Amino acid sequence: MNKIELKNISFSYSRDETEVVKHVSFKVREGSYVSVVGHNGSGKSTLARLIIGLLAPNEGEIYIDDELLTNKSVRKLRQKIGLVFQNPDNQFIGATVEDDIAFGLENRRIPRKDMQEIINNYAKRVGMDLFLTKEPSRLSGGQKQRVAIAGALALNPEILILDEATSMLDPKGKSDIRGLINEMKKNNPNLTILSITHDVEEAFDSDEVLVLNKGELAYKGKPKEVFANRKVLESLNLEMPFIMDLKDKLSKEGINIDNCENIDDIAEVLWPSK
Amino acid sequence: MNNLTFGRYSPYNTFTHKLDPRNKLFILVLLIVSIFLQFHIWSTTILISAAFLILFILFMLISKVSFIQLFKSMKSMWFLIFFILVVYIFIPNNNYTHEWYRFNAHYAIYWDSLYQAGYIILRIILMFCLTMILTSTTKPMDLTYAFEWYMTPLKIVRFPVHETAMTLSIALRFIPTLLDETERIMKAQESRGVDFAHGGLGKKFKAIISLIIPLFVSAIQRSEELSDAMEARGYDPRAKRTKYRKLTFSWRDAIALLVALAIFGGVLYLFIMDRIGIPNEQYIRLFEWIFKINPGF
Repeated sequence: MNKIELKNISFSYSRDETEVVKHVSFKVREGSYVSVVGHNGSGKSTLARLIIGLLAPNEGEIYIDDELLTNKSVRKLRQKIGLVFQNPDNQFIGATVEDDIAFGLENRRIPRKDMQEIINNYAKRVGMDLFLTKEPSRLSGGQKQRVAIAGALALNPEILILDEATSMLDPKGKSDIRGLINEMKKNNPNLTILSITHDVEEAFDSDEVLVLNKGELAYKGKPKEVFANRKVLESLNLEMPFIMDLKDKLSKEGINIDNCENIDDIAEVLWPSK
Repeated sequence: MNNLTFGRYSPYNTFTHKLDPRNKLFILVLLIVSIFLQFHIWSTTILISAAFLILFILFMLISKVSFIQLFKSMKSMWFLIFFILVVYIFIPNNNYTHEWYRFNAHYAIYWDSLYQAGYIILRIILMFCLTMILTSTTKPMDLTYAFEWYMTPLKIVRFPVHETAMTLSIALRFIPTLLDETERIMKAQESRGVDFAHGGLGKKFKAIISLIIPLFVSAIQRSEELSDAMEARGYDPRAKRTKYRKLTFSWRDAIALLVALAIFGGVLYLFIMDRIGIPNEQYIRLFEWIFKINPGF
């Protein structure tokens, strides 16, 4: 079943400007983890705003759960989507962690007596249960982003869109959020995740990768296929994920590591422990 | 940038901290009104004000408000206090009767003027203590909730109560963020050679412009992103929402309110007696009653 479907979507911010998204079509199956990669200005962030209906496409149709996104259906369909933005500061609405998670619940008219349990539950899931009464100015970027994820998940969405959710974080924050996404995936196989990113390492974790280049869908496929071709990646201004890069360079040196899945396997080949 | 000392919330867990912000706001109004009641006999007024001062110092001790912070924030008031003194002492008033020092046939300094000025300054200090107690024991956000509650009747005349409260709370939420931003921009501009500390008015103005414009641009960008984030989480200002924060009126509030009402009632009773006059003695002479001095002092 298709969770999200884009049919021939084009968009420009004003009439005279060139289109930032050009004739993009793709489908996202239920329960899959799809990454959209592309370097700056490729139109990938615009895509997130189109899917959640903050922007309306000039051309084309968007379906959420096979239902067309229109002015009428947007409020209803939006309830199925949780969106985490790039800047941790600009999406922190509440005065404290608990107030921020509660913000979405208040909008959904969840009764007050149920809120505390939901807040505790999701704060615990993102590892922020000890920070409930803290103000945003006392949290790190990674912690604020975890709160944003908890706020989105607390609304029980079927689709989670991460719009460069890790790009403003330090390496520790980045790896924390990556771990969190993978864990969420494990706990809730039905959750569809669309991750918009320029971090190829992050995209490497996903089931499918869509590459956007200058507003057009350039490549689509499994991460291992998409990231295998160095020349293509260079033409798209993308880096190769570290492990692919390492494998590529080692095989050029004549070392056979085709059967290796991760770093530990490669280490084993290079320097056998027995 | 971090010298905004006045009324900063200090996270203790005292009796006053636990009070309902609505109640605190109401008590503040009651006590301010009580401070402003003035009596015919000056010794009575001074005595009551002194009693208030002692009471408020007690309140501050209960609420763990730091006196150092109070004095620090009163620094900005010295000029005002000086100004009041000068105005009251040197501007002649025909109602003054007790002469202190006479310059010539037309001009003199009166005890009355000193009393008037002193009384006004005392009132300002008392009000200062009160607001200080309120703001250092109440989170800004709780104050917004209280304001929202008091403004609820305005909904009848279609005043956007909820929107106003939401705007206010977001503004409060972003103060630290924007202060950080200001500091960052200042450092960035200083590293490019902008001098914020020296130069004449014109130069300083130019320097400030280089701070204000980037700050505004970023604030507007922030607000746009914030409104997207709010909308993405299903916010609709016109729709009904449930509330996570609930203000509760506890036994503590009942005690505090009773104490405040007793103080207010007592002072109001004295004030009314003073206005309508009592048999034998025309006005309330608290000082003489307490210290058993013959009237007419």
